[in-house]
Amino acid sequence: MFALLRRQKVRNALLQIFFVGTIAAIVIGGWLNAQQTLERQRIVSGFDFLWRSTGWEGNFSLLAATPNDPYWWFFVVGLVNTLFLGVIGLLLATFVGLTVGLARISSNEVLRFLGRIYVDFFRNIPLILQVFFWYAFVTHMPAPRAAYDLGSLKISSRGIYAPVPNVQWEFLLASVVCVVAAIVVPIWLGGTRYLSRPPEQRRGLRVAACLGLLALAVLVFAAGGKAGEPLFSVPELQGLNLRGGMRISPEFSALAIAMALYGGAYIGEIVRGGFKAVGRGQIEAAESLGLTPWRIFSHVRLPLALRAMLPILANQYIWLIKATTLGITIGFTDFFMVVAITINQSGNTLEAIGILMAGFLLVNLSLGALFNHVNKAIALKGNQLRS
Amino acid sequence: MTRTNQSETPAVLIEAMSKSYGSFKVLRDINLRVPRGEKVVVCGPSGSGKSTMIRCINRLEQHDEGRISVLGTELNDDVARIDEIRREVGMVFQHFNLFPHMTVLENCVLAPTLVRRTPRADAEAIAMRYLEKVRIPEQALKYPGQLSGGQQQRVAIARALCMQPEILLFDEPTSALDPEMINEVLDVMVTLASEGITMICVTHEMGFARRVADRVIFMDGGEIVEEGPPETFFVAPSSERTKKFLSQVLRH
Repeated sequence: MFALLRRQKVRNALLQIFFVGTIAAIVIGGWLNAQQTLERQRIVSGFDFLWRSTGWEGNFSLLAATPNDPYWWFFVVGLVNTLFLGVIGLLLATFVGLTVGLARISSNEVLRFLGRIYVDFFRNIPLILQVFFWYAFVTHMPAPRAAYDLGSLKISSRGIYAPVPNVQWEFLLASVVCVVAAIVVPIWLGGTRYLSRPPEQRRGLRVAACLGLLALAVLVFAAGGKAGEPLFSVPELQGLNLRGGMRISPEFSALAIAMALYGGAYIGEIVRGGFKAVGRGQIEAAESLGLTPWRIFSHVRLPLALRAMLPILANQYIWLIKATTLGITIGFTDFFMVVAITINQSGNTLEAIGILMAGFLLVNLSLGALFNHVNKAIALKGNQLRS
Repeated sequence: MTRTNQSETPAVLIEAMSKSYGSFKVLRDINLRVPRGEKVVVCGPSGSGKSTMIRCINRLEQHDEGRISVLGTELNDDVARIDEIRREVGMVFQHFNLFPHMTVLENCVLAPTLVRRTPRADAEAIAMRYLEKVRIPEQALKYPGQLSGGQQQRVAIARALCMQPEILLFDEPTSALDPEMINEVLDVMVTLASEGITMICVTHEMGFARRVADRVIFMDGGEIVEEGPPETFFVAPSSERTKKFLSQVLRH
């Protein structure tokens, strides 16, 4: 018996069983306890509330929602809003971050200084304060009657009004596909081995393919127009308010601006670190081959820096997605806010919070998985010698 | 580039060149004339300025005083001129400095296609020719990290050759290699030397210097202390410093 206990494998197995058993006991105990307590307080638990109608309206939603819709639909609406804010916020933050990061590694002293000031300023003020500031900022824009008029884009205290395509959605989708193809097909033509003509002599073909597909996109778009209506719905002042076009709520723009500027400061540092991680030797090798600074940047520094940045960038992106929950402080109808209201109205606290956590786990685990995949695909092959 | 009388303009001409880092003088009053096709080996203790000197030739380092002319073109702040010279001067580094995100073939094709605008197919054919010359054509589609140090250094030599330069600079090409890999790199260098390219090579491989060099230069404390053909340099060095250095390197 004791001899058996001295075996490493047996010990490991016993330890494993002990751990799993303890954790299972804690979880089951907690679950039973919660159920008993809820019953004693006469709170109905379960997920039936999801199918009841809510009776409230969100102030911003990409998907249509009415007070008669059930809770589960509002959860979907909230999650889609969160994702939309997340995607826009991340894109803007990445753009700001790239600009700031490149400024910080530039050889120009003034640019470096400005980059540093930017990072020091935006990184050291709490995000919630920045959200409040930008919310105050965008709601202090002029009233719709006196809205800033940038062509067909109107900026007012009730939000930013932008023109949107007014065509049947199938045609819109087909048109977008054509535009994407106009970018992808010429690139494919440049590299493919299916053509007998050598790659250097394909320029005409590529230009023709690009222009042809763009023309097709325009035609498809025009064909999808609704009878008697213009192809674009343009915001216009009617009475005291702006009508038509798409309204981007002040809550959304405040959050997107705050995420872009705050996240941009962090991403800027990641970008800087990534470029600093590129070996001096590789740059010198590129220089000694006569490559111009731009070519060295695009073919050597950027690809290598990107590989160094990616893991940390994934971390930052996940962090920023979680930061969208600050939307509740200024009344943006995101996933968190929908859940908070649900808890207030239905009393199904544990279930609603469970759904909230599951939703964020789903989003962030998917994002993490995507980054892992990309990371593996572009990882440097073999052993790396640092020089 | 004005190239009057090709054969008479030396490959490299350094006149009264000095360089300092702050108050520390790394190079003092260097004078060196390397005719086309000559093989020069530069040796000396570490910190003697040999690497800095050859790095000045393709302007990875800037000199402070004096003049450097490469193939008849003087090196100065003119960026276009620097690029023009770098096209004709290949360099092989101590730590290989291959681009780790590109295959061996892509490493070799990059500069010819971008800088010389050679069509891709031609550049690949040239690259395969040089990879055969350094005896690793079968590794063309691998990544640098998947090769041994000796193989990587041979790829680095092939990459420099793909630009078809007139001058090749070697900066301690075997110092970072395991002993059993040094010879495969030296063999390639010996082959190259027999083909008439101008070579300036910083190295501690005295056997290589004996076999290949037309001239050996000994540097110490930022100056050229002694120079001469390998026969006289190794057999009858004139300065004390050279004697001391040689006794240290050749002891074993």
